[in-house]
Amino acid sequence: MDAPLLTVRDFGKRYGGSDAVCGLSLDIARGELFGLIGPDGAGKSSFMKAVAGVLRFDAGRVQVFGTDIASDTGAESVKSRLGLMPQGLGQNLYGSLSVEENIDFFARLRMVPRDQAERRKHDLLAVTRLAPFAQRPMRQLSGGMKQKLGLACTLIHAPDLIILDEPTTGVDPVSRRDFWGILGDLMESEGLTALVSTAYLDEASRFTRLCLLHQGRALATGTPDEILARAPGAVVQCRVVPQLEAQQRLAPHFPHCEAMGQTLRLFVEGLDREAAGAAVRESLNGLDIETLDTMAPELEDVFLALLGGERAATLPPGQANTPSADEPDAILAQGLTRTFGEFVAVADVSFKVRPGEIFGLLGANGAGKTTAIKMLTGILPPSGGSGSVAGADMRHAGALIKSRIGYMSQAFSLYLDLTVRENIRLYAGLYGLGRQDGDERMRWIIGMAGLAGHEDELAASLPMGLRQRLALGCALVHRPRVLFLDEPTSGVDPLGRRVFWDILFSLSRVDGVAMLVTTHFMSEAEHCDRLALMFAGRIVADASPQELKRQVVAEAGELYQVTTADARGLGKALAASGFPGASPCGRDLRLLSRDGAALAAAVSAHEAGARVETRPIGMEDVFVHLVSRLEAEHGGAA
Amino acid sequence: MKLQRVSAIAAREWREIVRDRLFFALAFIVPALLMLLFGYGLSLDVENIPFTVVDYDRSALSRDYSWQFIGSRYFKFQGYSDSESEAGRKLTSGQVRMTLVIPERFGHDLEAPGRAAVQTVIDGTFPSRAMTTRGYVEAINADFSRERLARLPVLSGMKGVVLQSRYLYNQNVSSIRSLAPKLIMVVLMLSPPFLTALGIVREKENGSIFNIYSSDISRGEFLLGKLAPYVAISTFNILTLWCFACLLYQVPFKGDFAFFLLASWIYVLCTTGIGLLVSVLVSTQVAAMIVTLVVTMIPSILYSGLIIPIASLGSGARVVAHIVPAMYYADIVVGCFLKGIGPGALWRQLLVLTAYALILFSLGYALFSKRPRT
Repeated sequence: MDAPLLTVRDFGKRYGGSDAVCGLSLDIARGELFGLIGPDGAGKSSFMKAVAGVLRFDAGRVQVFGTDIASDTGAESVKSRLGLMPQGLGQNLYGSLSVEENIDFFARLRMVPRDQAERRKHDLLAVTRLAPFAQRPMRQLSGGMKQKLGLACTLIHAPDLIILDEPTTGVDPVSRRDFWGILGDLMESEGLTALVSTAYLDEASRFTRLCLLHQGRALATGTPDEILARAPGAVVQCRVVPQLEAQQRLAPHFPHCEAMGQTLRLFVEGLDREAAGAAVRESLNGLDIETLDTMAPELEDVFLALLGGERAATLPPGQANTPSADEPDAILAQGLTRTFGEFVAVADVSFKVRPGEIFGLLGANGAGKTTAIKMLTGILPPSGGSGSVAGADMRHAGALIKSRIGYMSQAFSLYLDLTVRENIRLYAGLYGLGRQDGDERMRWIIGMAGLAGHEDELAASLPMGLRQRLALGCALVHRPRVLFLDEPTSGVDPLGRRVFWDILFSLSRVDGVAMLVTTHFMSEAEHCDRLALMFAGRIVADASPQELKRQVVAEAGELYQVTTADARGLGKALAASGFPGASPCGRDLRLLSRDGAALAAAVSAHEAGARVETRPIGMEDVFVHLVSRLEAEHGGAA
Repeated sequence: MKLQRVSAIAAREWREIVRDRLFFALAFIVPALLMLLFGYGLSLDVENIPFTVVDYDRSALSRDYSWQFIGSRYFKFQGYSDSESEAGRKLTSGQVRMTLVIPERFGHDLEAPGRAAVQTVIDGTFPSRAMTTRGYVEAINADFSRERLARLPVLSGMKGVVLQSRYLYNQNVSSIRSLAPKLIMVVLMLSPPFLTALGIVREKENGSIFNIYSSDISRGEFLLGKLAPYVAISTFNILTLWCFACLLYQVPFKGDFAFFLLASWIYVLCTTGIGLLVSVLVSTQVAAMIVTLVVTMIPSILYSGLIIPIASLGSGARVVAHIVPAMYYADIVVGCFLKGIGPGALWRQLLVLTAYALILFSLGYALFSKRPRT
């Protein structure tokens, strides 16, 4: 192995009195796609900026290309061989400049000779498929296109090492997969090394090596397989009736147990698949087990196991409250349509949500999710169709709807310069609660959200997980029967996310609150009882997550992972022999295929040593498959 | 120093300014607008003061006395009032700003060997305007008395001293003549720092500054490329404002145009430097705007001699005036327009401005870091 391209020892960065990153050590070799994974505030950005020489750091040694960058001169000397793409969708690009002008600016800034710059611009526009939009102003691009342009600009001077800070955050799954594919191609053809951060744990398997970062410290570093080996165990997924009782019974024995829609998912530490299945069956003795599958654990399970897995809030005891069949639907949409001039934002959308049901609305940016939500919450009158929310007609009872629903979006709901108590009191006042009622709800919210002891802290000083639970409490202050959640857990660490979903689960099952969740976080989608996928203003699929997975497997086959030494060559060879759509995943390839034997034959024809294995299909595979098929049917949108 | 990088930055900056409506307006429209608004809004001349007369006497003499005021260009007659209380109401409502009360027997007293008395009531809400009004009333009253005395046969041979005053540099003592050149000073103090500070802080706020931090461009190259378009725009504005002063406000330009241009350019460098310094110290556009407003607006209006002459300032304020560049440029611009003096008399001020520009740019350069702490 060559000398490492990047060597970091005991890196530390402090802001004011608190450590952002502490004691981080890692090496990155030439050609690696190294991932830095962690929630918001884990210290990813600080570390990456320091490595790029744009942020001073306080402790440790950082060597880039063998040069120590402790001094400004040292940092300056490596910048010509580095590329940095900072965080934020297209934030570092220039909105009023066209795609081409953006690339030209970076080329001139980096002193790329003119003819060489033209050649590279041409190639990069071709690879990123941005050539048809070369004259379009940057600000009119979609999120995914902005990120691809950002990548092209970062690569214009042919750097040896690129540092990409959360390039896929806020980008829909299809564009995300597209981005990873392009990055893989470019790394291969240019001999690049990349340091990439992400907040999505499900992207971890795409890296050749990775580091799990939590509160500024490295939890584990290694290849995905090495990290998986750190916490041996098995995942058990079962469907048991009644679900709530099953969970209450399992939770004391298995700390990593959570409800995913109608099923329960457990990570059983230390046992193999068979033993884990048996142990779970034993605990559930006497209940009706409809299905029980076991599978290999995923990185998120390992991450939680490494964190110690202590739960901040335990499940509140409660009786399952099955809504009776004659109770009216919590949300009913019938042929909802909304047009803006010529543009049809939402077309003929129909669905219903039962009391106590968690309903997920998925879709890429611009698919019509936001417009649909605005109509359902009484903000925007529909141009056609009808519907009711919490018993109020949405065509003329906008104000009534608003008083009966709760709405939570991480971005807007809290006043950060008020304390926990003041925030709750403010919301109680806004919804017209009396003093006594308000105090009672205050106690309920503080208990529910696990905020005891934080009552007089400013919302701004709370950790993300607590802040988000406070926002949930404020949305629930007036006891709404219907709750709207807009990407509720983005930016929250896996532990906080799990606690949050425990609360939502209990709210739905015990209190019978209906929920509508919009997200393009695939791990959130898995928690829903039912999912609707929106595409171009229409609902194109509406079923439970398991059902959707079954549909995709029936349509496109099982998910296969091919372990290979030459992912790029093999991908091309497979596409030529009738297996298109392989996406890179670390050093491996993943693809859907209906004929496993033929795939194995095609793989071994190209490369004798390659292995083919089946993998459980994920929600992201489902989403990407459905949307790609629809895009192909609609004449291939960009 | 690589010219290609400097020009890359400058060209991109220029494109962004002309394509962004807000920045375009800030660069080209706001300076002209400020010149117009200040010019018409800040006139210090007191003319056409509305007034009323309460004439209890109604004699030929009292009418004669009133006419002295009614005919004057400084006053604007708003009709007679029947009583003092009616005049008082008009004063309160703002309909008039001065009343004359001529008592009964005014004509009689004036013909008799005694003396006649007249009362004037002046709206004192704006002290300087009230003082000026009183001055006018006293002058017209004195004129009237002198004329009457001159008619007395006993005194026909007597000659008093007649004072002939002449105002140099501004014959009509019209305030816009002295204001307009100083307004160039104010506008050039406000507009360049705003543009510069917002232009740099905008990049910090949205993160595009990291393109600069992470590339191998030097600080000097970046700052040169970044500031060049702003200095160019302000140079263009010097000419626009000069045209406004000469053509719209009809201020004669008596000095050396080349010297005026050079001094103005150095002044623009100074104020751009203020913007640069603000931009390295703050990190949001809102903060940049507030800080720039405070450090430019107040000194350029209060401590520059725009309204209150430096010599009339208190000693503390005078010290402040001397550390702000506005005062020095005000000397230059008034000298060039009204006095027709040039480098021979104004080289000291020019030197101060040059030193100022050098210090601001050195500070900005030293404090700008491609590798900040946060």
